[in-house]
Amino acid sequence: MPWLHWGVIAIVLPLAGAMSCFLWPRRAIPLGLVTALGIVTCVAGLGWQLVEQGAQRYAVGGWGAPLGIDLYADGLSLLMLMATAAVGLGVSIYSIGYFNREKARYFWPLWMFLWAALNALFLSADIFNLYVTLELLGLAAVALVALAGGAEALTGAMRYLLVSLLGSLFYLLGVALLYHSFGSVDIAILAARVESSPAVWAAVGLISAGLLLKTALFPLHFWLPSTHASAPAPVSALLSALVVKASFYILLRLWLEIFPPTSAVLGQLLALLGATAVLWGGLQALRQTRLKMLIAYSTVAQLGYLFLAFPLASITGWTGALYMLLSHAVAKTAIFMAAGNILYFGGHDRIADLDRVVQRLPLTVTAFALAGASIMGLPPSGGFIAKWLLLEAAIRSGQWWWGGILILGGLLSAAWVFKVVGYAFTRSRAPHESRAVPVGMEWSALAMSMVAILLGLFASWPLALMEIGLPFGGKGAE
Amino acid sequence: MKKKSNKPKSITENGEREAPFRLLLAVLLSALAAGLGYAVLSLPSPPPGLSSHVAANLETSGVSNPVTAVLLNFRGYDTLLELGVLLLALLGVWSLGVAPEHHEPPPGPVLDMLTRLLAPLLILVAGYLLWVGAHAPGGAFQAGSVLAAAGVLLLLTGWRPGAGFSGLPLRITLAAGLGVFVVVGVVLMLLGGRLLEYPPSFAGALILLIEAAATLSIGTTLAALFLGGRPEAGPRR
Repeated sequence: MPWLHWGVIAIVLPLAGAMSCFLWPRRAIPLGLVTALGIVTCVAGLGWQLVEQGAQRYAVGGWGAPLGIDLYADGLSLLMLMATAAVGLGVSIYSIGYFNREKARYFWPLWMFLWAALNALFLSADIFNLYVTLELLGLAAVALVALAGGAEALTGAMRYLLVSLLGSLFYLLGVALLYHSFGSVDIAILAARVESSPAVWAAVGLISAGLLLKTALFPLHFWLPSTHASAPAPVSALLSALVVKASFYILLRLWLEIFPPTSAVLGQLLALLGATAVLWGGLQALRQTRLKMLIAYSTVAQLGYLFLAFPLASITGWTGALYMLLSHAVAKTAIFMAAGNILYFGGHDRIADLDRVVQRLPLTVTAFALAGASIMGLPPSGGFIAKWLLLEAAIRSGQWWWGGILILGGLLSAAWVFKVVGYAFTRSRAPHESRAVPVGMEWSALAMSMVAILLGLFASWPLALMEIGLPFGGKGAE
Repeated sequence: MKKKSNKPKSITENGEREAPFRLLLAVLLSALAAGLGYAVLSLPSPPPGLSSHVAANLETSGVSNPVTAVLLNFRGYDTLLELGVLLLALLGVWSLGVAPEHHEPPPGPVLDMLTRLLAPLLILVAGYLLWVGAHAPGGAFQAGSVLAAAGVLLLLTGWRPGAGFSGLPLRITLAAGLGVFVVVGVVLMLLGGRLLEYPPSFAGALILLIEAAATLSIGTTLAALFLGGRPEAGPRR
């Protein structure tokens, strides 16, 4: 059945889901859940298809590049889609209990649009189409942040909207320069035609700046902590786990395929900023008194690791960065869910007043600690495998100092995880009001943290899937 | 580029310390503008474009206006997602709250007269733009904007959609553009083609169908955005 392309259904299905949730808001939860299960099936189907037949190209409308738009799926896109599916399913289940009826009416269609945007983004092979998916993604994310209501969330959403639009416009200007220089917006065609010129360098600068702003690499992270901390917990999880990674994915894709190979200096600069992000984010996280702010700063630090692979430029290095991305996505989802449970339970997220929360929410604290172990990089977790690969690549390329950053960052993460867990065991001075947390919210947090650990135990599967189409291997990647 | 983005921080500085930041910002922005100007001037001319590809395939696209052919056929998938962006924007505004209650003063005789004249005319123009888009400048987005102008004019005179329309019927109208696009794309896929692969003999009709639904949705969406919030949930039934 060559016409049945699972990837295309994975884009169309969430769009259909978004519209049905919009049309029948009172049935939004069952409609959304059915769609979520459908998308997970599609991603599994696509995975099977890729394993059987290798990387796939799909010409939407039958025109093919350069006239039409192509979709392209290889191991890199597949793993991004799988991470999205895993996080998406967890967040879908979690949010049943989290949102009241009124919020659920808007959460579900917005979330389905976000999911559609993510799937479309990871499957796109066309830099202008990527811009359209970025727009869809950005608007959905902003609206989801604002869903929390209140001045803090609205300010965060507004700042996020402006940052997101600025980033998109930088990107679009770069796309215009590339199209004008080479007469195509297809990544594969551009990769074949690209050559060094002032316009290409301007495009590389503009696109990188726009995407780095959206990815919140230090020092462009200024918008992230307040936005991610003020959003509703499931939305914080989506933003930290997936939305910032989407712009990173585009940067990675363009870096691997289009950008001139002589950008070694830029690679060193990105890694330097990444290393600063790891240290700065880690130190800032330790200074926070509110749990969600702490977690948001930890995202700043974790995003820094992803950029350490750029100067290493080896398959092991890229694999390590991608593994870091995956394990951070699931672990950070679990941590934000746990924080959401604590906030739901006690009505606040002041770290010093956690008040023996371990006795009341044992599953939540377990989830927090397990996911924290992956963030620190303790074996056997996904984070450990990722750091191991990055360390190996750093030493093999003779740039051992990046390995030092990995270890320092791990220590900083360990410090904040132990600080929070410590307060979870101690009695605070004043007793607090509390309300029961729905079972689904506790179990979905625990399930996500288990996935973060399993990523370490069964690392060979994702690592094998990553090699489909050789996204990091140069010649095989078309 | 990196330095330029420090801009938001400098805005928060107050008083005299702001001056050097502004100077620095002006220098950096001028450098950026100069660099971009140089890059743009260095572009090849004439630029290698896709117009020859478009012209070569115009025959089978179902329309003779190249812009419509690109928007609805060659790169129809982009337009499908853009219609999603439009619906999403409205959804975002609706999620923020109910439309603020404006007590418009009753329209004066001029506005009243003009609206009675203009609204039907605008609807007619929208229909014309939609139809003419197949072979001349026009199309769903232009037609939708004109339709929205009619809607805004009506809203300004104090007209509000009745309780019977502001529920499911309104939502169906808003989602119709994206909905029809997705349904057409998927049905073509089920019939054995690819997503949005129109058979050349039906391409013109399918594009018109999609554009008609899109016009309706674009017009309604833009007019609904003008209200600034979701319509109040009236008494049910």
